Amino acid sequence: MRQFGTVTSVKTANKIKTMNKIDSKVRANEIIGTKQIFENPMNESFSIKLNGQTVEAFPGETVFQVADRTEVKIPSLCHDDRLAPAGACRVCLVEVAGQRRLQPGCAWVVTPDMEITTESDRIEKHRTILYNLYMADHELDDAGLPIETGNGNELRELCKTVAPMGLEPVSAPRAARPGDDNPYIQFNPELCILCARCTRYCDEVEAVNAITLSHRGAETTIETAGQRSLIDTTCELCGGCIDTCPTGALIEKKAPVNLVQLGGTEAVRSTCNFCGVGCQLDLHVQNDKVVKITSPEPGETLNDGNLCVKGRFAYDFVHHPDRITEPLIRGTDGLLHPATWQEAISATAEGLMKVRDQHGADALGFVSSSRCTGEENYLMQKLSRAAFRTNNIHQCAAT
Amino acid sequence: MFGAGAMTNAIDEIRDSEMMFVIGSNTTEAHPIIAMEMKRARQRGAKLIVADPRKIWLAEMADVHMQLKPGTDVWLLSALANVIISEGLHDQAFVDKHTKGFDAISAKVKDYTPEEAEKITGVPAEDIRTVARMYATTKHAGIYYTLGITEHTHGTDNVYCLANLVLMTGHLGVRSAGMNPLRGQNNVQGANDAGATPIYYPGYQKVTDNAAREKFESAWGVPLSPNDGLNLNVMMKEMAKGKIKAMYVMGEDIVISEPNVSQVEAGLNQCEFVVCQEIFHNETTRFADVVLPGACFAEKDGVFTNSDRRVQRVRKAVDPPGQARPDWEILCDIARACGYPMPNYSDAGEVFAEYASLTPKIAGISYLRLEQNVAGLQWPCPTPDHPGTPTLHLDGPMIGKAEFQAVDYRPSAELPDNDYPLILSTGRTLYHYNSATQTRRDPGPVAKQRGNFIEISKRDAKIYGLQHGDRVKVSSRRGEVVAEAWISPRVRFGCIWMPMHFAESRANLLTNDAGDSVTGTGEYKVCAVAIEKVTTGTAEELELAGI
Repeated sequence: MRQFGTVTSVKTANKIKTMNKIDSKVRANEIIGTKQIFENPMNESFSIKLNGQTVEAFPGETVFQVADRTEVKIPSLCHDDRLAPAGACRVCLVEVAGQRRLQPGCAWVVTPDMEITTESDRIEKHRTILYNLYMADHELDDAGLPIETGNGNELRELCKTVAPMGLEPVSAPRAARPGDDNPYIQFNPELCILCARCTRYCDEVEAVNAITLSHRGAETTIETAGQRSLIDTTCELCGGCIDTCPTGALIEKKAPVNLVQLGGTEAVRSTCNFCGVGCQLDLHVQNDKVVKITSPEPGETLNDGNLCVKGRFAYDFVHHPDRITEPLIRGTDGLLHPATWQEAISATAEGLMKVRDQHGADALGFVSSSRCTGEENYLMQKLSRAAFRTNNIHQCAAT
Repeated sequence: MFGAGAMTNAIDEIRDSEMMFVIGSNTTEAHPIIAMEMKRARQRGAKLIVADPRKIWLAEMADVHMQLKPGTDVWLLSALANVIISEGLHDQAFVDKHTKGFDAISAKVKDYTPEEAEKITGVPAEDIRTVARMYATTKHAGIYYTLGITEHTHGTDNVYCLANLVLMTGHLGVRSAGMNPLRGQNNVQGANDAGATPIYYPGYQKVTDNAAREKFESAWGVPLSPNDGLNLNVMMKEMAKGKIKAMYVMGEDIVISEPNVSQVEAGLNQCEFVVCQEIFHNETTRFADVVLPGACFAEKDGVFTNSDRRVQRVRKAVDPPGQARPDWEILCDIARACGYPMPNYSDAGEVFAEYASLTPKIAGISYLRLEQNVAGLQWPCPTPDHPGTPTLHLDGPMIGKAEFQAVDYRPSAELPDNDYPLILSTGRTLYHYNSATQTRRDPGPVAKQRGNFIEISKRDAKIYGLQHGDRVKVSSRRGEVVAEAWISPRVRFGCIWMPMHFAESRANLLTNDAGDSVTGTGEYKVCAVAIEKVTTGTAEELELAGI
C-alpha cells in the first residue's frame, strides 16, 4: 500500500533550502526536529461505509486508498499512485453523504463513519456528460471513439461504457512542438486531456520541471520553456511522461507507429543491463526485434514504474549492425578473419593451454564481467579455477 | 565490515528515510532510479546531506552540501565522529552491545577537530557540527556512497570511517538507515557473489580456507589452487611486467576502463595470447588473437543481482545476431576443449542450480521461485521457504561484534604540483554508460553528449584563458587527451572533472593506477594534471580529439 506524506514540490524544497541559509545553529535544531514518520504508525483505524459495506480506514487516507483494499473500482484518468492527488479529470467523482456536490475520490480524505457511494444514477449521469465532453475535444476514430494508440487509450475504454450524445467538436487550437527534434518523446496535442500527469511526474518524481501547462482555456497545452526541443531543456529523457500519460498523447518516437494494428507485441520481463539499481523491464518484441521497452506497473517491482533514459530508450545497440556476428581469429597478416566456432574454440583452448604449459597457470589472467549474468560469472571462475587451477579471476568490481 | 559487502538496506526503504547522507555518489546520474527514491523522500520531508567535491544535482536540493576537497574524506568523516563522540551523541547501548574498539576510535578521532578539518577539507566547521548532530540524533538516517568513496588509494579507509559512523550511532539493523554502497554495474554484486574474485569462491568462501577449498574440490572433481589470485589492478601491472602472458577478457573494455591505460596497452601487446568475448568491437579487441561473439542481455537467460542484493531474472527475448551465442554456452565449450569435463547444462537454470547449491547465501533461490516473486529475492535466502532479507543486521551485526577501525588520514598518491597543478576526478554521466559501446549507438545520449569534455571552474578558466567550448589538452604524467572545456559552477577552484566514456579521448590515459592497499582499486578520483588551450586545426590535434 502506498502512503501519501506531506508533499512539497522540489521548488518548495529549494525555497526551504534558501531559508535554511539563515543560521546554522538554528538550522540544526530545525532540521533535527524533523517529522517522525516512524513514530506515528497508522494504528488507530476506524470504519467508514463504502457502497453500504463497512470497511476499515486509517487517518489521512483518501477514498482511493480505502477502495484499493476492496473490490470497489473507481475509474480515473488523472491519478497515478506516484503523484499527489490532483482531482483534475473529474472522472473519479463519488457521492459523500452530507456533501452537496460530488467529490473526487482520489483526493477526498475519509473521516470516521463517512458514507461513500461510488455507483449511482447521479454519478452515471455525470460520467456520461463528462466523457461526451472529453470526446468533443478529442480525436475520434470511425466508430466515434477516442482513437487507439500504440500505448493504449484509457479514455477510449471509459467512453465505451456510456451512450454517445453526439456533441459538436470543440475547436481547441492546442500547440504541439513541431521543432522538437528529440529522438524519443512525441507529443500529440489532439489526444491530450490536460490531466497534467506528465507535468506533475516531471515535477514530483523526476523533479526536473522540463514541461509545464501553459496558455489558457482551449489553448492550454503542454510546453517546454520557449517551445524548445526537450534536448535543450532540463529534460533527462527519462520518458516517465510517456509512461504516465493515460491517453497516448505522449508516445515513443522509436516504437513502430502501427503497433496496435499489428496486434500489439509480446512482452518479455527482464532486468536492465545498465547500472546497479536492477530496474525491471518489459521488452516488447516484434519479428525477433526489441521494438519498445516499458516498465512494469507502479508498485510491482523496485523501480515502481520508473525508468531512466538508458533503460527505457538505449536499446538500439541490441540490433545494431556493428554487433560481432561471427568468431574471429587473428591471422599471420595481423588481421582478424572469420572462423567457425570449432576453430575459434580450439584456438582459444590451445592458446591458453600453451601458456599454462610453458609458464604455469598463474601466467593466465581471467577477466570476468559485471555486465554478464551470475551464471556466466560462476562459469568463468569455474573455468579459471577448475580447468586451469588459478585464482587469477576478477572483474571490474570497483570501477 | 559487519559481515557482507553490499547495501545493508533495501532501495524501497529510502522513501521512508528521515535523513539521507549521500557521499561520493552522483546518484541522479549514476543511479537515476535510486535518486528518484531520494527525491521522493526529500519531498516527504527527509533531510538530505551531500558531501561531494562537485556541486552535483542532488547538492542543489540538499540541506547541507559539504563541498570537500577531493581525497580528504577521512578528515571530514573523522571530524564528524569527533563531534558525535565529544558531544556524547553516540548510541552507548548499541556500542556496548554490538561493537568493540570504541575507546581506540574515540582516542583516534580526538585530534580531528572540526576547526582543523575545515583547513584540510575546506568544509566549514559549523557545517560539520550541524551534520554530525543531525546524523547522530536522527533514527532513520542512511548513508549512501559510491565510487567517490572507494576509488582512492585510501578507499578502504574511507569505507572504515563511514562504518565507524554507522556503528557509533547505532544506525545498523534499522529500516531506512544503514550503510549502502550503490553498485555501479547491473551485476557487479552478482559477479562478486558468484566468485569472480581472486580471493573468494562463490558466496565469499575464502580460497585460502581449507574446508571451503575441499568443498569445491569435491563438487568440481579437481584439485584447486590454495593461493589467492591477483586482483584486476595488480593483474594489469603484472601483465605490463610480462608475468601474465595470456588474458581471457569477457565483456569488459579494459583498455578504456582501467586506470593508466597506456600501461595496460603495453601489457596486452606483450601477451602471448589474448581472447576477447564481446558483443561489439572495442579498444580491447584490437589486441585479441581470438574474438568470440557473445550475446547481450536481451538474448539470453540468467540472473543479475542488483545493489540491494536482489536476485532478478534476465530472460531471453530475441535471438543473438548471426552466429553469436549466449556467453555461458561459450564458456562451457572452452572448458571442455581445455580438457575439463564441464557438465552438459541444458539451460542457464541448471547452471544457477549448481551455483546456488554451493552458495549458502542464495541456496534457497531457484528459477521457479523467481517466477513467483516478481520483485526478486534478496539474499541471504538460505532455504527454499526463506522469504529473503530486505534489511540486514536486524539482530545486530552478522559477524557478531563489529570492530571499529581507527585509521589515519593519508593524502592521495598524487597531489598537484607546479608541473601538474590541477586535481582531476573522473566519473560517469547520466547519458552514457562505461565505455559507451551501447549508449553511443543511440541518438538520445549522443544528442545530449557528443564527445568528451571537462568541467572547469570560472576562476580556473580565466587563468587559462578559456571560453566555454574551447578545446583543451589535458595531460598527466601518464598521458594526454583533448576535450572540450565546459565552464561549470559545479567544480571547485583547482579541480577539474572528466567523464570516462569516450574511446577517442580516454580519461584513463590520465588516471593513476596506484591502488588501494586492500582492494587494489585504482585512484580514479584524484590525479594531478595540467591543461593547455588547443588552438584547433593541426592534424595531430584533430586526431587526438578523434575527429
